[in-house]
Amino acid sequence: MAKLFKNAHLVCPERELSKDGWLVVDHGVITQSSFDEQTPPDEASMSKVIDCKGQIVGPGFVDMRVQSSDPGAEHIETLDILLTAATMHGITSLAILPSTEPVIDNAAMIDSILLRASRYKKARLYCYGAATKQMAGEQMAELGMMTQAGAIGFSTGNYSISDSQMMRRLMTYANMFDRPVMHHCEDLTLSEDMDMNEGETATRLGLIGQPAIAETIILQRDIELARLTGARYHASHISAAASVDVIRKAKAEGLTITADTAPPYFMLNEFSVSGFDSAAKLNPPLRSEADRKAIIEGLLDGTIDAIASDHMPIDPDEKAQPFSLASFGASGLDVFVPMSLKLKQTHDLSWVQLFALMSRNPARILGLEAGRLSIGAPADLVMINPNSAYILNASDFHSQSRITPFDGTPFEGKVTGCWVGGKNQF
Amino acid sequence: MTEKQTSHHAHTLKSGHLLGIEGLGVDEITALLDRSLYFADIITSPSEPHDDVSKILHGVTVVNLFFENSTRTRVSFEVAAKKLGASILNISVSGSSVKKGETLVDTATTLNAMHPDILVVRHHAAGTPLLLSKHVSAAIINAGDGRHEHPTQALLDALTIKRSFGRIAGLKIAICGDIANSRVARSNLYLLGALGADLRFVAPSTLLPSDVEKLGVPVFTNLNEGIAGADIIMMLRLQKERMQGREIPSQHEYFNLFGLDSVSVDKLAGDAVIMHPGPMNRGVEIASSVADDPERSLITQQVEMGVAARMACLEALRPNGLARQKGR
Repeated sequence: MAKLFKNAHLVCPERELSKDGWLVVDHGVITQSSFDEQTPPDEASMSKVIDCKGQIVGPGFVDMRVQSSDPGAEHIETLDILLTAATMHGITSLAILPSTEPVIDNAAMIDSILLRASRYKKARLYCYGAATKQMAGEQMAELGMMTQAGAIGFSTGNYSISDSQMMRRLMTYANMFDRPVMHHCEDLTLSEDMDMNEGETATRLGLIGQPAIAETIILQRDIELARLTGARYHASHISAAASVDVIRKAKAEGLTITADTAPPYFMLNEFSVSGFDSAAKLNPPLRSEADRKAIIEGLLDGTIDAIASDHMPIDPDEKAQPFSLASFGASGLDVFVPMSLKLKQTHDLSWVQLFALMSRNPARILGLEAGRLSIGAPADLVMINPNSAYILNASDFHSQSRITPFDGTPFEGKVTGCWVGGKNQF
Repeated sequence: MTEKQTSHHAHTLKSGHLLGIEGLGVDEITALLDRSLYFADIITSPSEPHDDVSKILHGVTVVNLFFENSTRTRVSFEVAAKKLGASILNISVSGSSVKKGETLVDTATTLNAMHPDILVVRHHAAGTPLLLSKHVSAAIINAGDGRHEHPTQALLDALTIKRSFGRIAGLKIAICGDIANSRVARSNLYLLGALGADLRFVAPSTLLPSDVEKLGVPVFTNLNEGIAGADIIMMLRLQKERMQGREIPSQHEYFNLFGLDSVSVDKLAGDAVIMHPGPMNRGVEIASSVADDPERSLITQQVEMGVAARMACLEALRPNGLARQKGR
């Protein structure tokens, strides 16, 4: 049963090691590696030997923000396809938002989705429970019973909770179960009828702008509430420079605040909207160039902990509309790894840094075993050939939803292998 | 039942009122408790020869002034007053001039002009009994003011415990449920704490008032951890309006996490007992199998002891020989 990965360049973000070596996987876990031992095992004793010459091998990616359109809108994308597409990019764990139909706001929904996902034997699926019933922001959902069923955190999906008392109680209550509250920060009053980021571009296009402070105001409020309640708080898909500043300050104070962002916010800015391209209509909206640079700064200095795909399957009909009538969101699963590799290349990130942002940190935030190449860790692995150049082509997407503002973007690096619990995925 | 320290001697309260447990001396608490034990013996074994207590409050007028609905507390005071020979009047809110727009103080002043001796007051606003005590010459007994105090409940709980265990000092007592909104929890904390009990609060984090641990009580947000090794578990009522998703997601989740059922109780010491100030929400904070367990439940005894404890309080505030400060 044992598999030897030899001649690999191993990257363990947990131990911050990046060097050539070998790895043995047996019964779904990592059992030996060159990090801990000098001599590799006899190849004859292995059931399989994988020569990883010229390849990077690291812990599988953990995507902490994925919208599934199944259950509820399987015509857009099914869970099976979603989990398959994930493994094609070396994503071995993903966490889905509760905004399905029906909403994942009770223990029975979590049970049923986890059971279905386990049958596919693809990427590992985890569920957030909805923070409020029906995601309406008015009544707390049964967080305790959802925790018992396996919820790894509580999310508001793409909605923001305006009511500060509700948010305070959610944080206080979630604290009992040691689970983070994941919030989409948006001041809905500043965001009314929003099409895109506020500023010159919006003015030229005649679209309604949302100021970046719509995000930061709610984030700042949440940080104060986290200070009051001692809660574990996570800010999702951060897009604004000012938000990066307030998170940096909160972390310096020692608050248990974490944050993620997604490729659009470090790769693109509001100019992508210029041709009324509805694929670039996102929430939070693409911001200014200064915001984009600040997001990258936040990723580099550790203020932003993680990169997530922010995958949002959209029916093409919902995007084939005048910009202001089109839906928000874009497909993220097929973009997540290529665009993060591009960030690594353009900003000279180390492999350890990249794997920290895409594997170790999200795993830590969600309390998962993933994100490390330690003995006893699950054998969730990704293999990358770093030296191949590609053009991102929406028609090649593995996910069924192919709406993307990144079509035609060149990048370097390709996922050449993926193992979940030691099982080869392709 | 172990040795009892009943008192055959009436005593008085220094302030001339019973506004709360906080502020009472341990000597006053002990004296009230001893006297309660004396009355408890009398009411629980009427066939045995006893002192005639029916003259103790002869000629004394007690007024039940309840601004909040109550059956058990109001009736309990009424029975206690009658057993001591007092005349008692019940003023119900619905029929009173309060509904006609009269201020609280005016109502009290008007009543005071009729010279009642003792006013038993329940009101939804914390501090009302203290306010009234400054405007009337009658003695005030706080029968529950908002989230603040319910001193006679604490006294009857202590009486029930003392009759069951023979002591209070050293007993491990877990008070579980809606601590934030509970006057019973506060009064019991002061009273049982003063008598040396080892208390703890157990509640969902959203039903714990801020800085509660600064009152000197350990706090738990997990029922089974909080009640581990307890001699006594006091369950508090969770009001329906708290289960609408603001404080607690649902009744279902509350019972699942904080409801006392036979599974939790089985983990306790063999002689652990269950108390509840009532009225109970069966299937919310307590399962019927626990509430009705004759081996463990003291809930009915608590009601019985309420009369004895209130007899002691009324007696301690009887007008003759009191050094009460007149309000006006």
